[in-house]
Amino acid sequence: MSVSQEHDIPASGVTGLAGIAAREATQQTPRGRRVRRFSADLSAVGEPALWAFGGALALGIILIAGFLAMIAWNGFATFWPKPVERVELTSGEVLAGVPTRGGPYRPGAAVLDQLDAETRAAIAANDGFAHRTLYQTANFDLYGDDFRWVSDFEVAGITRPDDFFYIERQQWGVFIGRIVGLEVDGAAVEITPDRLAREHRAARQRFAAIRGLERGDIGRINALIERERLAIRRAEIRLGEESPEAQASIAESQARIAELQAEFETLQARASAIRAEDRTTRITLEEVNGRQVETEFSQIVRFFPANTLSLTEKIGIYLSRWWEFVSAEPREANTQGGVLPAIFGTVAMTLLMVVFVAPFGVITALYLREYAKQGRLTSIIRISVNNLAGVPSIVYGVFGLGFFAYAMGGTIDQVFFPEALPNPTFGKGGILWASLTLALLTVPVVIVATEEALSAVPRSMREGSLACGASKWQTIRYIVLPKAMPGIMTGMILAMARGAGEVAPLMLVGVVKLAPALPVDGIAPFIHLDRSFMHLGFHIFDVGFQSRNSEAGIPMVFVTTVLLLTLIITMNASAIYIRNRLKRKYASGEF
Amino acid sequence: MATAQTTAQTTPPRSDGIEPTVYHPREGGQGSALDIRNFNLWYGETQALHDTTIDVQKGLVTALIGPSGCGKSTLLRSLNRMNDLVDGLRVSGEVKVDGFDIYGPGVDVIALRKRMGMVFQKPNPFAMSIYDNVTYPLRVDGITKKSILDDTVERALRAAALWDEARDRLYTSALGMSGGQQQRLCIARAVASDPEVLLMDEPCSALDPIATAKIENLIADLRGQYSIVIVTHSMSQAARVSDNTAFMYLGRIIEYGATDTVFTTPKVARTNDYVTGRFG
Ligand SMILES: Nc1ncnc2c1ncn2[C@@H]1O[C@H](COP(=O)(O)OP(=O)(O)OP(=O)(O)O)[C@@H](O)[C@H]1O
Ligand SMILES: [Mg+2]
Repeated sequence: MSVSQEHDIPASGVTGLAGIAAREATQQTPRGRRVRRFSADLSAVGEPALWAFGGALALGIILIAGFLAMIAWNGFATFWPKPVERVELTSGEVLAGVPTRGGPYRPGAAVLDQLDAETRAAIAANDGFAHRTLYQTANFDLYGDDFRWVSDFEVAGITRPDDFFYIERQQWGVFIGRIVGLEVDGAAVEITPDRLAREHRAARQRFAAIRGLERGDIGRINALIERERLAIRRAEIRLGEESPEAQASIAESQARIAELQAEFETLQARASAIRAEDRTTRITLEEVNGRQVETEFSQIVRFFPANTLSLTEKIGIYLSRWWEFVSAEPREANTQGGVLPAIFGTVAMTLLMVVFVAPFGVITALYLREYAKQGRLTSIIRISVNNLAGVPSIVYGVFGLGFFAYAMGGTIDQVFFPEALPNPTFGKGGILWASLTLALLTVPVVIVATEEALSAVPRSMREGSLACGASKWQTIRYIVLPKAMPGIMTGMILAMARGAGEVAPLMLVGVVKLAPALPVDGIAPFIHLDRSFMHLGFHIFDVGFQSRNSEAGIPMVFVTTVLLLTLIITMNASAIYIRNRLKRKYASGEF
Repeated sequence: MATAQTTAQTTPPRSDGIEPTVYHPREGGQGSALDIRNFNLWYGETQALHDTTIDVQKGLVTALIGPSGCGKSTLLRSLNRMNDLVDGLRVSGEVKVDGFDIYGPGVDVIALRKRMGMVFQKPNPFAMSIYDNVTYPLRVDGITKKSILDDTVERALRAAALWDEARDRLYTSALGMSGGQQQRLCIARAVASDPEVLLMDEPCSALDPIATAKIENLIADLRGQYSIVIVTHSMSQAARVSDNTAFMYLGRIIEYGATDTVFTTPKVARTNDYVTGRFG
C-alpha cells in the first residue's frame, strides 16, 4: 500500500525474464525429437493438400488459357485470305473452293460399293475410315449451297490456278471463279488489274452515294413525314376532328408533308440517276465449270486473286476485312460484312445500364449501411438482395417484358403516343427497357460491393469528420464516399461485366437480329430509347445457330466472340484504370 | 492543499462501500469550461460511467488517467457527444457548457461539436491536401472565402507548430506526412474552427519520443488559449502537461485534483497504487 514497496516491480520483472529464459532452455531437447514425430504423420503435413490446391489452380489456368487460345486462334485466323483450289474428281467433275477443314469419317456401304477394290482395301485397312475435306465452293446463287465435302479417294488432281478470284459480293455471298468480262459505260474494256481496281473504286463510291441517299437523307425525310402523319392523328385525337384548331394544325402538317414529299422526290431522282449510271459498269464472272454471272461492279465488295497474293497483299486484305467487320453493317443474314450496329448496341446498352444501376445501387446501399437501423429487417433485405443475384437471368427477361415493356411502356404509349396506336412506341422491347432489365439484374452486385466498401471506411475517418462539426450527410459526401469510391467502382465493373455478357433476358426485351436503325442518329431527338437494337452476344447466337447455313456462320461466331471479349475487356480495363487512379488518390498513407 | 488533504483522510466510507470522489482541483480563475454533474452512461446493459462529477477549468489542461477500460475515452467522447454513434447508448445526469446541458432537449449536436475540437489516438487526416484538411471544419460550415480559409490555415498550422514544415506543401496529400506531422495536422484541424475546448484521446500513443515532445510543447503553448482535456496512459506526460488530473477506476472518478498533488501526495490509496505503477 505504501510507496516504499515500489522496488518490487523491477525485481519481479527481472525474475520474469529469467523465468522465460529458463523455460526456453528446457525446451531445447524435446524440440529435436518432435520434428521426427511430425514427419511420420502424413495428415499433419500440408504437402498433399498443397499439391491438390496447386493442381486445381493449374487445371483452372489451363482451361482458361485453352479456351482463350481456341477463341483467339479461330477468331484471328478467319480473315486471313486462303488459297483457292481447283479439284478434279475421279468422276470427271470439277470444282473450285477454299478448303476450310477436314477430318476422318466412315463412308457408308453405298459409297464403298462404288469404289474400286484398291481404295476399298485401303479404307478397310484404316478401320473403315477415310479422310475428307470441306470446301467452301461459294457461288450460292448457282449451286444452292456454299460448302461441299470432298473425300480424298474421290480426288483425281488438285491445282491452284492463278486466274481464280475470291470475290465477296454485296448479295449472294462469295463467288469463286474467274473475271471474264468488264463493261464500262456499256462498252467492254480490256481487263487489267489496274483498270479493275480503278473501276471498282469508282463503283464503290457510287454505291456509297446511293446508300447514303437512301438510308440517310431519304430515311430522314421518311421519318419526318411519318412524324407529321402522327401529328395529324394527334391533333385529331386531342382536339377533335371537326374543331378549327385541329383543322388548322392538320393543314399545317399537310403543307409540311407536301414540302417534304417534294424534297423526297428530288432526292429519289438523284439516287435513280446515280443508280442508272452505276448500272452501266458491269462485271461478268465465270465459275469453274464455265457458268457465268453478270452483275453491277458496285455489288462487289472485295476481290483478289487468291493464289497469287504476296504477303503484303494478304496483310492488306486481312486488315481491310477486320476494318469492314468493325465498321460496316452486316449483310447476307449476318454471316458477312460487319457488326457495327451490334458493337454500338452492346456499348450503348451497357453504358445506359450503368447509368441506371450506379445511382440506384449506391443510394440503396448508402441507406442500408449508413442510415437504416441495423436489425432483422435490414438483414432480411440483405439476404433478399443476395438471392436476387441467383435468379436465372431469363426470369428477369420475362419480368422486363411484362413490367417494363407491356405495363410501363403500354401506359406511356397510351398517355404520350396515342396517335401511333395500335403500333407500340415504348410498349415493346427497346434499348431503354433492356438496360433497365439488366440494371435490375446487376443491382445486387452493386449493392453488395458498395455496402462492403462503405463498411471498410475506417471509423476513425468518420469520427474525425463528425468531430469537426460535419453533419452525417457531409461526412458521407466528403469523407466516406470518396474513400469508398474504388470499392464502389469495383462493384460497377463487376456489374458491367455481367451485364455486357448477358444475352438471355435481352432476347425478350429488345434485341433483334437486324436492327433497321441505330438507337442514336441524326433525326431529332437524336437518342431513340424506344428502338430495338443489336447485341454482340445475341449476334453470336444468331449467326451460329439461326442462320441459313451455319457452316458459313462458324467463323463469324469466333470473330464475334473475339470482338465481344475484347470489348468487355476494354470496358473493364478502362473502369479499372479509373478505379486505380482513384485508389492512388485516396491511398491511406502508412507511417 | 493541506485542507484538501485533511478532508480526504477524514471522509468516512459510504454505506454502499463505494468511496466518494476526492476533489482538490486547482482553480483556473476563469470559471468552468465544462461542468459534468452526476453523469452516468450505459452501453446497452453495461454501465460504463458511474456518477461522474468533474468541473473542467477554463484555460487549464485537465488530464484523465486510469487503467485500461476504466472509461476515460467514454467520458471524453461524452463531452462532444461522439458516443451518440453507438447503438443502445443511454445517459443520465448532465454535462453543462456555459450553463446549458448538452444532453438537454433541442441541443444542436453539430453546433456543439464545432465548439469542441477533438484529437484522436491514431492520427486520422482525411485523404485530401493539407490545406483541405485544415479548412475542412470551415468548409462544412459553408465558408468558401479564400482569404478567410488562407488565414485560418496559417493560424491553425502555426498553432500546431506545423507551419514551417507544411507551408511549402499545402496542396499535397496529407497522407504523405509522417505520423507525428499527421497528428499535429489533426491538432491544427481541431483548432481551425477556433473551439473553446480541445479534447485529446491519447494523442501521443502512436508517436515516437521526439514527436511526443513536440506535441507536449504544443499543449503547453495552447494552454490558456483553450481548455484542454487530455487522456493519457503516460504518468510522466500527465505530470508534465496538465494542471489538474482526474484518476478514474471502473467507471468512477476516484480522485480529481491538482496534478502535482495527485502525483506526489495523492489523497486516495488507490490513486497512489496507480501512479506508482503498482497496478493498472
Ligand atoms: N461502443 C461500446 N459498446 C459497448 N461497450 C463499450 C463501448 N466502448 C467502450 N465500451 C466499454 O466501456 C468501458 C470503458 O471503455 P473506454 O474505451 O472508455 O476505456 P478507456 O479508459 O478509454 O480504456 P483505454 O485506456 O484502453 O483506451 C470498457 O469496459 C469497454 O469495454
Ligand atoms: Mg481509450
